[in-house]
Amino acid sequence: MLFALAVCMINVPAPSTNAEETSEPPGSVRFEGYPDAPAVTVVSRKKDLFFYPCSQCHGNMEPDPRIRSLNVMHVSELEHGRGRIWCLSCHDTEERDYLRTLLGERVDFDDANLVCGGCHSNRHKDWTFGVHGKRVRNWQGERTQYDCAHCHDPHSPAIEPRAPMASPPVRAGFEPPRRRTAGTEADQESAKEAQ
Amino acid sequence: MLRGPREYWAWLAALTFVIIVGAASYIEQLENGLVVTGMSDQVSWGFYIANFAFLVGIAAAAVLLVIPAYIFHRDDIKDVVLVGEGMAVAAVTMAILFVIVDLGRPDRLWHMIPVIGSLNFPVSLLAWDVIVLSGYLLLNLAIPFYLLYNRYRGKEPNFRLYFPFVVIAMFWAISIHTVTAFLFSANPARPFWHTALLGPRFIASAFASGPALIIITLQLVQRFAAYKVSRSVIETLALIMTVAMQINLFFVGAELFTDFYNEGAHAASIHYLFLGLDGYDSLQPWIWFALALNAIAVVILMIHPLRRKTLTLNIACVLAFVGIWIEKGMGLVIPGFVPTPLGEIFEYAPTSVELSVSAAIWALGALIFTLLAKAVIAIEQGRLAERAT
Amino acid sequence: MTANSGSGNGGDKFDQARRNFLRGIGLGTAAAVARPAWGGQTFGDAFAEFFQKNYQRMSAEEIEAALERIERKAKRRYEVDINCENTPPQEGVVFGYAINISRCKGYRDCVHACVDENNLGRDSQVQYIRVLQMDNGDSNLEHSEHYYDPETVPVEGKYYLPVQCMQCDDPPCVKACPVDATWMEPDGIVVVDYDWCIGCRYCMTACPYWARHFNWTEPEIPADEMNPDTHYLGNRPRPRGVVEKCHFCIQRTRKGRQPACQEACPTGARIFGNLLDPDSEIRYVLANKQVFRLKEDLGTEPKFWYFSD
Repeated sequence: MLFALAVCMINVPAPSTNAEETSEPPGSVRFEGYPDAPAVTVVSRKKDLFFYPCSQCHGNMEPDPRIRSLNVMHVSELEHGRGRIWCLSCHDTEERDYLRTLLGERVDFDDANLVCGGCHSNRHKDWTFGVHGKRVRNWQGERTQYDCAHCHDPHSPAIEPRAPMASPPVRAGFEPPRRRTAGTEADQESAKEAQ
Repeated sequence: MLRGPREYWAWLAALTFVIIVGAASYIEQLENGLVVTGMSDQVSWGFYIANFAFLVGIAAAAVLLVIPAYIFHRDDIKDVVLVGEGMAVAAVTMAILFVIVDLGRPDRLWHMIPVIGSLNFPVSLLAWDVIVLSGYLLLNLAIPFYLLYNRYRGKEPNFRLYFPFVVIAMFWAISIHTVTAFLFSANPARPFWHTALLGPRFIASAFASGPALIIITLQLVQRFAAYKVSRSVIETLALIMTVAMQINLFFVGAELFTDFYNEGAHAASIHYLFLGLDGYDSLQPWIWFALALNAIAVVILMIHPLRRKTLTLNIACVLAFVGIWIEKGMGLVIPGFVPTPLGEIFEYAPTSVELSVSAAIWALGALIFTLLAKAVIAIEQGRLAERAT
Repeated sequence: MTANSGSGNGGDKFDQARRNFLRGIGLGTAAAVARPAWGGQTFGDAFAEFFQKNYQRMSAEEIEAALERIERKAKRRYEVDINCENTPPQEGVVFGYAINISRCKGYRDCVHACVDENNLGRDSQVQYIRVLQMDNGDSNLEHSEHYYDPETVPVEGKYYLPVQCMQCDDPPCVKACPVDATWMEPDGIVVVDYDWCIGCRYCMTACPYWARHFNWTEPEIPADEMNPDTHYLGNRPRPRGVVEKCHFCIQRTRKGRQPACQEACPTGARIFGNLLDPDSEIRYVLANKQVFRLKEDLGTEPKFWYFSD
């Protein structure tokens, strides 16, 4: 909790857009956070990342900063930004166990919100104040929230449609009323055709 | 009280049979819960409350005999006013019973008693209804009992003692039906009922359906109990009924215009009732049928010769009674729930259990009235009197 | 010694017989009170339950006794050991709820989490939350679809509006109840005393949000699905013939835990918290988002908002 707060508060005296030139330790960013932001503990995800730490494999690979189309083993296609970004927009080129902000600051995987918030600042502000994303455990006391990547896969952040749970029952002894035409498969298909 | 000709016995036996069958249905309802009815979360009041609303009107209509008898000193009406109050007792008792059988927990009825339980008076309209209905029952038992007991004893009743209570009963009669109307109209959640016109509509339809029943009943009393009922009584009631029916139909017209001229979402319920909604229209034939009955009845009543002729008058009374029972019963209660406040359309139809229990309560009311009328007439005619020592 | 002043040998034998008789009656009565009667309930419990007072009038001891009766009854009826509590409201807390309708996708995870958490009767088929599928651009509830069941949600061109008890600040249901069986607690939750409700359903008529539901049958809850952590005014097993509704998971929220619907929502559409705390998320929503409430014009002052972003 305090760590997250501290991360937001540390100033980088000599900012540089070139990640290789920065001499600051990873995890400190220029972004100071929002005034009056509450203290938030982010639920850690690193242990759930299958391929983490990335340096296991990538440690032996030479960094290649050229923008290109990659056919990588673990991300088939980057469905994020429609061509505005690519892998090294968010992943640090040299230190593969870290992410990078727009300014090239190195950021831990558990602080991914600092990366996402660089472009999605409105959402990030909402998330900081607890009105976007998910708070877990309690409504009272220590605030524990999921990080962005808990719900949004950064390589394909849009949330896929899924099946709903069962529709409401009616009182025992009654037939379910017929649906209005809305919300059936036929409607979905005709809506797709209309697109 | 039980002495009488064979028809009388047959009548009591038939009523008792209906009551027993209905009692068995009610036991089934007590054992399995209200799931045996046709009600649901969507339509949470049904046939029972429909009958309740209608019967409170009948009970209030006794005032149409009380006022001419005691304020206008109509002796012809004074002869039958106690029979009318017997009808009021029967009607109020039926109304109270309809509420009781509609309760999910009738074993907790004592919760409604002030002090011992906790009655939410004066905020809850239902609490008001409990008080006014109980009070009306008491008034209509106490005043006739006082008068009849004195007659039985051969004494003159003390006018100064009972007249104030008679006046109270007059206002009380209006209040029971106004409170019942407010029970419905107090709910902005239900736009179908949330109209200032509901109170006046209730009174108008009560003053149409009540006299209809009284006219028929008095003729039956005259026939079977050999109790003279002056023609003038019938004519006065018929005239009141005519005007009340006209007013009632005017109110219906006003509702239809107001809702349909610029039809918004608040008109969904009345649209469902008269025209069906989204293909759901189970009440539509009923309401048009009721309206037709009322229209025919009011036409008959407005034609003097037809109103004066017994046969056509009786036809008009039966048509009006049935028409208003449909319109004010199911035609009032059910559309308030369709669609639900969240826009769902879910229909309702009473089950055989509801019909059986309702028939039993009507039969019980008829039984109570029969027994009370028999006692009243016997005392009024002097046949039942304390033997002079 | 008895008060009998009889003396002599014959008198002593008579006294002894009488003493035995009275003792027998005493024991018999005690046994009768304890012996299961009334469908398995002891006479003592049945008697006490019948005369149980309105919650608002019970003393602390009477509430304790009522909680224990509820636990015993649940054991008999469902064969589950439950814990029924009476956690009081917290000082300085009034609950508020907001739903982000841009996030709600109509999954209905909240609906079913509520059923599990709150011991809703599976057979009496009560659900506290109903999710409405609405057409984009249309806020007319009469065009909503309650029983949507497509392959996937969200359906193109629709949005979703979950509706449950709004815990109004000026609740029409509280006014309607003839026996004071429903009222608003100091922390803003409108509660029902299920042991006092007479089942007249007038409150259901008065509610503009269709939030109150009735147990038309005896609630059936499988023993292995029963949630044993209960509150008298909340999710303890309810009897047949009474009204119930969402109570903001009073058994959880009074202890600082999230309501089950908020916990279940995978998209984080639900925001819950203390309206009296200026730093809460709910206050941030009210200050910074374009919120609305359903049927605002009825003046019920719901403590349940909707917003989109």
